[in-house]
Amino acid sequence: MSVNIKEGWEPKILAFCCNWCTYTGADLAGLNRMKYPENVRVARVPCSSRVNPQFVIRAFQKGCDGVLVCGCHPGDCHYVTGNYFTRRRFMLMKKLLEYNGIDPNRFQARWISGSEAAKFRDTVTRVSEQIKELGPNVKFREGRWS
Amino acid sequence: MARIGVFICHCGTNIAGVVDVDEVVKAAGKFPGVAYATEYKYLCSEPGQQTIKAAIEEHNLDRIVIGSCSPRMHEVTFRKMLMSTKINPYMLEVANIREQCSWVHTDKEKATEKAIDLTRMAVAKVCKSKPLFPDSIGVTKRALVIGGGIAGIQAALDIADAGYAVDIVEKEASIGGHMVMLDKTFPTLDCSACISTPKMVEAGAHPNVTLRAYCEVESVKGYVGNFEVDIRQKAKYVDHDTCTGCGACEVKCPIKVSSAFNQGMCDRTVMYKPFPQAVPSKPVIDALNCRKISGDGKCGVCAAVCPLKAVNFEDKGEIITEKYGAIIVATGYELIKWQDIYPEYGGGRFEDVITGIQFERLVNASGPTEGHIRRPSDGAEPKDIAIIKCVGSRDINKGKAYCSRACCMYSAKHAHQILEKIPDGSVHIFYMDVRTPGKGYEEFYDRTREDGANYIRGRVSKIFKEGNKLICKGEDTLLGKPVSVEADMVILETAMVPATDISKLTGILSIGSDTDGWVQEAHPKLRPVETQTAGIFLAGTCQGPKDIPDTVAQGSAAAVKVCSLFSKVQMETSPIISAVDREKCSGCEMCIPCCPYKAITVIEIDMHEHGKKVKMNVSDVNSGLCQGCGACAGACRSGAIDLKGYTNDQILMEVDALCL
Amino acid sequence: MNDIETKLRETVKRLLADHTVRYVIGWEATRFEDKTRPAFISDSADTDRLVWNKYCVSSLAKYALDEQHSEGKIGICVRGCDSRAVCRLIEDKQLLRENLYLIGLPCDDKEMNICDTCTHRNPVIYDELVGEPVLERQADRFAMVGLMEAMSADERYSFWESNYSKCIRCYACRNICPACNCRACYADQERVGWQGKQMNTAQNQIYGLTRTYHVGDRCIECGECERVCPMMIPVMLQTRKMLKDINEMFGDYECGLPDGRAPVLGEYTLGDADDFM
Repeated sequence: MSVNIKEGWEPKILAFCCNWCTYTGADLAGLNRMKYPENVRVARVPCSSRVNPQFVIRAFQKGCDGVLVCGCHPGDCHYVTGNYFTRRRFMLMKKLLEYNGIDPNRFQARWISGSEAAKFRDTVTRVSEQIKELGPNVKFREGRWS
Repeated sequence: MARIGVFICHCGTNIAGVVDVDEVVKAAGKFPGVAYATEYKYLCSEPGQQTIKAAIEEHNLDRIVIGSCSPRMHEVTFRKMLMSTKINPYMLEVANIREQCSWVHTDKEKATEKAIDLTRMAVAKVCKSKPLFPDSIGVTKRALVIGGGIAGIQAALDIADAGYAVDIVEKEASIGGHMVMLDKTFPTLDCSACISTPKMVEAGAHPNVTLRAYCEVESVKGYVGNFEVDIRQKAKYVDHDTCTGCGACEVKCPIKVSSAFNQGMCDRTVMYKPFPQAVPSKPVIDALNCRKISGDGKCGVCAAVCPLKAVNFEDKGEIITEKYGAIIVATGYELIKWQDIYPEYGGGRFEDVITGIQFERLVNASGPTEGHIRRPSDGAEPKDIAIIKCVGSRDINKGKAYCSRACCMYSAKHAHQILEKIPDGSVHIFYMDVRTPGKGYEEFYDRTREDGANYIRGRVSKIFKEGNKLICKGEDTLLGKPVSVEADMVILETAMVPATDISKLTGILSIGSDTDGWVQEAHPKLRPVETQTAGIFLAGTCQGPKDIPDTVAQGSAAAVKVCSLFSKVQMETSPIISAVDREKCSGCEMCIPCCPYKAITVIEIDMHEHGKKVKMNVSDVNSGLCQGCGACAGACRSGAIDLKGYTNDQILMEVDALCL
Repeated sequence: MNDIETKLRETVKRLLADHTVRYVIGWEATRFEDKTRPAFISDSADTDRLVWNKYCVSSLAKYALDEQHSEGKIGICVRGCDSRAVCRLIEDKQLLRENLYLIGLPCDDKEMNICDTCTHRNPVIYDELVGEPVLERQADRFAMVGLMEAMSADERYSFWESNYSKCIRCYACRNICPACNCRACYADQERVGWQGKQMNTAQNQIYGLTRTYHVGDRCIECGECERVCPMMIPVMLQTRKMLKDINEMFGDYECGLPDGRAPVLGEYTLGDADDFM
């Protein structure tokens, strides 16, 4: 289970973004030519409530160093109530992951609206910095090197 | 094995300027399942689309990935393009390598690496894609308008004029709502009844409009285009088919109760029409106060005098079930119950502290005083009148945080009317700000000040009685000095709040409401008259405080939405909806509470288990109701319910692909 | 032979004789003195096989799932935890109360660690109680979780990693768990690809974590998962963590009670705790 930190190591960060708010906000960041680290990859989902916590664990297993789940602000969900379920699921899931030894910064959830391009940029930049500091994730990870 | 085509767009230099497109194509060519990979300058252009179509034929592709701008931009374009090919439009994934890659990164090497990753994720996801087909559902071309105020009337008339049938359900015995209670309307001062009653009459007489007065919506089933609504017709005790509205019964009815229409400032009979111009112009019996029905049973004068024997004391009301294609919610507002939250204004103990709407009745020629401003306590004409604005509005400690929008203008109108009718009187208006955004509004406010209204900036902290006078104590915050006004009458301009039973209705309709209880629009800017539930629209003050012009505009806007829905013979529904694998579903019903659209129900099906035919309960998704959020799929432990287009295996593949 | 056992046998004999139930699930002796096993008694002549002693530890409720599609009633002997398991299965729409006849057995003599934190020694639902109710005891259900939380993240990770490295993926914890009542467990769906079949620590951890959040908001704290684990993995220490968080975030919460709340993940309030702003 040893992972060598190579020179110039870049973390892999997966962000699940809901189509109506955060994905739109991320697009807006592009339109405004904002800059943020390249190591964040966005997976588009219709609503943050679509994100099964299993996807998050899977990402750690397969080698992601950080996972973000982003959706509309509570009360603004395109599907009225989806993000309220997201909130409960991941409030509990986050604590469970921490209980199992995952650093709290490795899994984060944020509400980012379609107009909050700057918040999207700042969030992924910060997460990216935090993950870089933590180094590669070895927990839950399938040892591909061993 | 899938035969995937990968097409990477340069978007001029938008993508190619940062991402090494050739590198991405080279890498994509090696992804499992990719049969062909290429690039093009502008894939969304006509020649670009032709290139894709030609490649589909030439390389016998069965699904494609396009690396281009955001799918929010051109996913629809490419899906349309696929309609004319052998590939199903949903066998497409778009890798967003512009908005979320080339435009936000400068390091070419890293951006290219990211573009490759994003393409790999899309390729992995499309591997598990399945052809999807939109469903089409019929549309019942009959609309239901809930609420017969000016918003509902306007919406109904517009729909009816477009040639579609429309029903108005009104809980009171007459349509008209609040507008018909008002005396004059700002800023033009035209008589409110004069402009609203013709609309009411038109609605009553229109061949496409069915009025369902004294009715309430009991339950709503179904989905856009196909709602089935139970409407409870409350017992009227008068057969409106027979009744001609001659009024003989009303005149003879011996029991009088306070008139809600006149805000309790005069009485009406128990056999009543809410007001003289009521539509339908036929009376009902207020059963609660009727001696014959709820009392000792010894009256029945109305039945005796009715020449057509239209009175029926045995009426129990009925449930009417109707099918509708669309619903407009236009339930309007109520005024905040200020008595409970403002004890410092007397809490209702002082008769001469009245609300704006009571003043409207007081100043109205058909009101309790026939238009003479007389104070309720002794019937004397008040000389000095204080008007207090924002009672319950903009007051987070006692009432609501929001601004009720219309009060600044109608308080100016009240001041104007007082000064007109009582030339030797004075008006003091306590205000926080004066907000007059609207055509001719500021001018009207200026005119009121020129009329002599005394605007004092500050809230009133206490009202108490001294002899015949009401003393309003407050602070003039512009002068920074305490101020005390001796008034003969005080008018409170109270906050608009949602109708009391609106939460019941939003529950029945499964539409959202905001923290204050106003019905939630689908988007605050771009979808102001739609709700989150397809086929349910809203108009007027049920969505938030507004004045008459805005209310009417929303009524018309909602009508257009309904008409555009009705203009289709069949309605196509998105195929990106949830589906249940009945083999896996254990019927635990965990998905049901997660669905905001009540699209999931439990059905009993026949299954074979251990060679035995058994009845099983499984979840079932209504394709007309499901909007494709996937909350159910996120909640299902066994993955029995899954969201088409974003299935569990697709997302798992996508996650895996990123980590390769 | 004790009084309760005698009464239990008489009760079952009566229920079978008057055809109240088709059969009764209880416990019977084995060739080991300190072990019992589930018994399925359909003949009133067999009622003497039933035993009631401190070794009656296996959970019985889940066997009723075999009769999901059968006509008529079956009887189940229920201790506090069994009755909560029945509640769980009823709430999860897997059993119908009217198809069950519950013979309640207050339970206070078990010698398992897990029983120290039991908060419902008397059955929470039953049709007939055999024996007198016992005194409920105060128990700190989350003391162990608290100890775990006091450790550092890496210590916790090592703890679970070393535990899950032992896991042989026999799925006994799943098979016994009354909250694990899916028709098709995610772990068996290799074609969807939720979970690999490989036996390695990562896969085992994924299984453990996933099972935890699948049952965590519905766990009745019977501890059967731990009892049946052949590798002695403290499985309930995971679900109890989730329950502790639920208690802290969403108010008092215990599952498998007849008046119980809906599972917290199936509802929400506007004012829920929110760290995601």
